[in-house]
Amino acid sequence: MPSEAIDPNGISWIRVSPKYITVELIGWAILTVVELAVLSVPLVLLLAGVWPDFPAWLAWLLSVGTLVVRIWIGLLIPRQVRAIGYAERDEDLLIRRGLFFQRVMVVPYGRMQYVDVGVGPLQRAFGLCSVKLHTASPQTNASIPGVPAAEGARLREQLSDRGQARLAGL
Amino acid sequence: MTIPGSTGQDPLNGQDPLHGRGPDASGAVVPASQGVPLTPDTTGTWHRVHPVSPLVRGWIALAAIAYFFGRDWFEAVFRGDELWGLTGGRAFWTVLIVAVVVLLLVAGFFLSWWFTRYQVTDDHVRVNSGVLFRQHRQARLDRVQAIDVIQPLLARIFGLAELKFEVADAGESAVRLAYLPLASAQELRATILARAAGLTSAPGHAQEPVPEAPEQQILAVPGSRIVGAALLSGTTVFLGIMLTAAGVSTIVFDAAFGPALLVPAAFGVAAGYWSTFSTGYNFRAAVSPDGIRLRYGLLETRAQTVPPGRVQAVEIMQSPLWRFKGWYRMRVNVAGYGVSTENSGARTTLLPVGTQQEVMQMLALVLPDPGTEDPFTVFTAGLDGIAAPKQHDGDASDGCFVTSPRRVRWLSWLTWRRNGFAVTGTALLARSGRLWRSLAVVPHERTQSIALHQGPLARRLRVADLRLHTTTGPVTPVVYQIDADTARRLFDEQAARAAAARRRSLPERWLEARPEPMPEPGPEPSSGLEAATGRLEGQHGPQQQVGPQPEEEIRHGGQH
Repeated sequence: MPSEAIDPNGISWIRVSPKYITVELIGWAILTVVELAVLSVPLVLLLAGVWPDFPAWLAWLLSVGTLVVRIWIGLLIPRQVRAIGYAERDEDLLIRRGLFFQRVMVVPYGRMQYVDVGVGPLQRAFGLCSVKLHTASPQTNASIPGVPAAEGARLREQLSDRGQARLAGL
Repeated sequence: MTIPGSTGQDPLNGQDPLHGRGPDASGAVVPASQGVPLTPDTTGTWHRVHPVSPLVRGWIALAAIAYFFGRDWFEAVFRGDELWGLTGGRAFWTVLIVAVVVLLLVAGFFLSWWFTRYQVTDDHVRVNSGVLFRQHRQARLDRVQAIDVIQPLLARIFGLAELKFEVADAGESAVRLAYLPLASAQELRATILARAAGLTSAPGHAQEPVPEAPEQQILAVPGSRIVGAALLSGTTVFLGIMLTAAGVSTIVFDAAFGPALLVPAAFGVAAGYWSTFSTGYNFRAAVSPDGIRLRYGLLETRAQTVPPGRVQAVEIMQSPLWRFKGWYRMRVNVAGYGVSTENSGARTTLLPVGTQQEVMQMLALVLPDPGTEDPFTVFTAGLDGIAAPKQHDGDASDGCFVTSPRRVRWLSWLTWRRNGFAVTGTALLARSGRLWRSLAVVPHERTQSIALHQGPLARRLRVADLRLHTTTGPVTPVVYQIDADTARRLFDEQAARAAAARRRSLPERWLEARPEPMPEPGPEPSSGLEAATGRLEGQHGPQQQVGPQPEEEIRHGGQH
């Protein structure tokens, strides 16, 4: 992926595991099925003749619209996952994400209060984990999903070490 | 619970944390040879809060009981009826029930008072509380973010005060001591601040008058201006809209507003005026070596102390109505205060209403070194400045502020000349808003993390937003819609500047002579804010080692 306009110069991003695309797609598929099932209720009722008064165009719009939107979201997922990246610099950690709404964040090691490593059932099945950094600011929403477990453990240790070496107060 | 050698351990007047020091010592210059002027509590010495405290805290319960039983009887007496529950054989039982309830309450009060103990040692303040579910709490003194001395109305009548000790968890107060006699609370505050400042450990500083750091009043907001500020607030706008709506509805639709709508609205308006007035009343700001001290309040008075280097971000705002008078409002992010919804955010207000000159004075307090040759010009441009409409495409520039490029004028036609940023040697200034003007100031060494945001529209226009993350609070500094290349450069430079500023930032104990060496990496990682505390423990541990350190020492930790 070419460097985007707001990416700092000379940064080579470490991308998250491609397996995370599968994880995201499974989650997306489950959510799509649920959403379609719920929003297609009017259409089913209409076609079954239980609720003939329901406007047909609305019933069709709900179902088809949901399907179109969900498919579009699904098509974006691979690119979105590939847009996630992080880079360790001497003083700080850079994290980027987003396709349409892009964000590049810099978290100084000395500002980190703690590091979370979280694993959900899906991520565990694929040997992945999420690393989340916390600073004293609640706005620091610095999570890196889809990191291979070994890399996550290394990152956690590395970040803790560097955080201690450069620890600053508040 | 007491230790031999300590005096004044009588629990009934055990509020005096400075019992090792005679009253004559207050205000006196302590000879340097004495070294440590304050006697810290040893591990066995505990104090209790004032015995009346549970009453002051639980007066609502007592008032409810009095109301419940009193009203009927009072009315009955008034009407000359026979007293319910006091006639015939029921009198005995009624009195008994009331007596038992009152006794239980008093016993509860007594137990809660008896089991609440506190001590202030060299490094920590500890509070034990709870009868059945015991709670032992301990906070490091040098992690103090702010100390409040609060006097609610009833406490004022008794001459009591509550002491709130805030550390950086943005939630509940770390330590609440309610209530102490006012003098004791103030003394305790001075003690805590002196120890947090590192006075006890630095014999060279023992000449400082310790009991209460000398303070100098910077400004006092006159009552008339508070009234004016309330009248020129959003409440008035709301009132105007309501009255207009009522008038239009009456004249045009011939349907007068019912009291169902007007009474709540009137209450809302009155409450709005009242909260502005009562919290801003008698607002005074002072400065002392212990930091900024703010005092205010009509019924409930507060004295807030924010030690140096604890202000994470400042915002100066001006609403359209205030522009006529040239008034501004200042709010701060302090780690211990959080969002502070109580008192409509009075706690995070640095200046409820002030002139430009007063704003500059307060800015000088929170940012002693503005990091620029001509701070007045820079900050004035931040408060009122606006870039010229004619400028060539590319970087717009308004004196010291870099504003949005001309090409975004279609997107934000009102604010594009106002949105911008300026960088001084010590802080980043982010200004925004044309009607509701705002200037956010974030010291470099207080920047937590930085993020660049860019949406699809902004990408077309080659602009980006830069957000500075600070601790929880009312200020969220954002530099809106600056040229993408400029934003990226600022992002990089700001990260470097923040890192550099952190290295030379003030020590946590603000009166200690020099920055301390960075701590050795601790043996094991821990979590939470306690992690920072825990690691810093090693840093501050033996206080005697504090002294002149070679400059190289400061970078010590960085080698690792």
